[in-house]
Amino acid sequence: MAHILVVEDEQPINDLITMNLKLVGHTYSKAYTGSEVAGMLEKERADLVLLDVMLPGLDGFGVMQQIAPLQIPVILITARNALSDRIRGFELGADDYIIKPFEILELLARINVVLRRNEQAGAVFICGEVEVRFPERQVRVDQLPVDLTAREFELLEVLIRNRNIALSREKLLELAWGYDFAGDTRTVDVHIRQLRKKLGWEERIKTVFKLGYRLEVQV
Amino acid sequence: MKFWHKILLAVLVLFIAALDVSVVMVMKKSWQLNMDSESKRAASEQLLITNNIYENLDSIQARGVSLDPALLVSVAKSYGQYYRKQGIELELRENGLLLYPVQDGGSSGQEEVRAAQEEHIMTLAMPFPAPYEHLELAYKRDISGLYAQQEELNRFFVMINWIVGPLLLVLLYLLIRQLTKPLKLLSETTKTIAEGDYSNRVKLNSRDEFGELAFNFNKMAAVIEQRMSDLAGMAEDRQRMVDNLAHELRTPLTSMQGFAELLTSANIGQEDQIKAGQYILSETMRLKNLAFKLLDLSVLRHQPLLLAEVDVATLFETAAQTERQRITDNGLLLHLDSSIPAVWGDADLLASFLVNLIENAILASQPGSTIRLLAYPQDGEGVLEVQDSGSGMTEEQRRRAFEPFYRADPSRSRAYGNAGLGLSLCRQIAEAHQARVELQSVPGQGTSIRIFLQLPNNCPPTL
Repeated sequence: MAHILVVEDEQPINDLITMNLKLVGHTYSKAYTGSEVAGMLEKERADLVLLDVMLPGLDGFGVMQQIAPLQIPVILITARNALSDRIRGFELGADDYIIKPFEILELLARINVVLRRNEQAGAVFICGEVEVRFPERQVRVDQLPVDLTAREFELLEVLIRNRNIALSREKLLELAWGYDFAGDTRTVDVHIRQLRKKLGWEERIKTVFKLGYRLEVQV
Repeated sequence: MKFWHKILLAVLVLFIAALDVSVVMVMKKSWQLNMDSESKRAASEQLLITNNIYENLDSIQARGVSLDPALLVSVAKSYGQYYRKQGIELELRENGLLLYPVQDGGSSGQEEVRAAQEEHIMTLAMPFPAPYEHLELAYKRDISGLYAQQEELNRFFVMINWIVGPLLLVLLYLLIRQLTKPLKLLSETTKTIAEGDYSNRVKLNSRDEFGELAFNFNKMAAVIEQRMSDLAGMAEDRQRMVDNLAHELRTPLTSMQGFAELLTSANIGQEDQIKAGQYILSETMRLKNLAFKLLDLSVLRHQPLLLAEVDVATLFETAAQTERQRITDNGLLLHLDSSIPAVWGDADLLASFLVNLIENAILASQPGSTIRLLAYPQDGEGVLEVQDSGSGMTEEQRRRAFEPFYRADPSRSRAYGNAGLGLSLCRQIAEAHQARVELQSVPGQGTSIRIFLQLPNNCPPTL
């Protein structure tokens, strides 16, 4: 889908982010210091940079100044939620700002928002016989168009964008229906059943015991 | 009403009142004196005239001429005409009947003028001595000049009042403005200080009370400024500490939460599952260490120590044992050198002190260099010293080195250190021993840290 550069000096957090990026189908590169970022981006273009602010050598703000001419979207990751830091980040052109500790789903959602804003979110998703075209909101199975309701398509998009990650029914409601939807979690079950039937994805969309649903795709 | 308004009004009113009262009194006295001298003069003149007329009459009688009224009138007339030139009117009465001047109907206009001036005419009447008791001479003198003079003086006095009043007002205004200038200056400065500009001072160099006030005020402002900057510095230190603590807590929490989420909800292979589990474990250990260090700090602060004789060689061996693996892993050498057998202290805490310092030294040192553990006596105290020839500290780093959570590395990277509690723990340990800690460091040449402890042959410090 997109190629993302993760700049984070804490090995565990760097691994955590990249493992999740791999799960939802992004490719990535890792950097552990600020000074190596510019060189890496020159060699290999990235669609997005996830940038820690406190880095050894050159800090996140310095990196932003260095890579500003490349016009690559940046999401800052930091443990400090001082307003002045946030303002400084946005002034330097950050697209978003996420504070540790964060939930992985939140990070992925923000990544998708930024990528979509920059039209890199991945226009087409193909898995087996199913082909999903996001710009046209079209779904084809075996080259034949399938009719999905608007809500079913939203749900499908959420599942695809967070594939390989289990999503609770509440989370799905929040992501596909919106925060203020006052519906029953059984609404989700009904729509999932519809999706499975229409796409032939009885096996792909797994019910995770006690948790929710997960779209499983080979990485 | 402002202070200088009050002073101005009070001085003006008091001054004019005093001036007026004294001038009025002086005028009254002068009037009285003038009147006295005038009446004395009148009395003596009258006496003179009376005597002259008396002698005249005597001589006339001696010549045997009888004193009929016509003669009397003519005598009186001759005197009267002479004295009229001097502004003196004479009247001669015989048994109460006016003989001179002769009444005539045509002089009524003159009478009126005379009546109008009546009050300003001084009249003295006295009978002649015997044998002319039936004659009476009245002496009339016009003293309107005196009145006019008094009138003139009054007018002049009013005029002076009109001139002096405004003049005084202007002069007083200028004087009081000048005198109360320091007050205004003080008030303006206080206002700017009240608005938060603590660096402002009263620029006043006088030796009077205002100068003293300004001097003391400036002293106060300096103290306040110092306090405010101390407070600001403390707030900054605290904020930095909280920021650093937040980083130390948030970083491992992020990993723990993320990997736990990954394990419970993601479709990942076994290898990744193991990796996630290991990370959760290592980050939990990291949080645990942080929690224990914080606990140690708090316990040290609240618990009294039991000091005993600590064998230095054993102490060094314990510390070296704990860190030996890490020292060899980093390609370093550890050199122990002790010239004192024992010190007073708590063996566990002193070992922890040394271990913390050795860990710092390992992080600062390049492979191949040596870390020295030294113990020697100095000025009756036992010194334990940890010396490295590593990267050293700048002055700013030296100053803040003992601050909790302070890390010389602004990224607080795990690769080059821990939470930044080591040196604050060391300082707490030293404080619990009532011992001094000295830090010496030169950038690029290395760092040495010493603790000055009591030697066993000295009296143990009472804690």
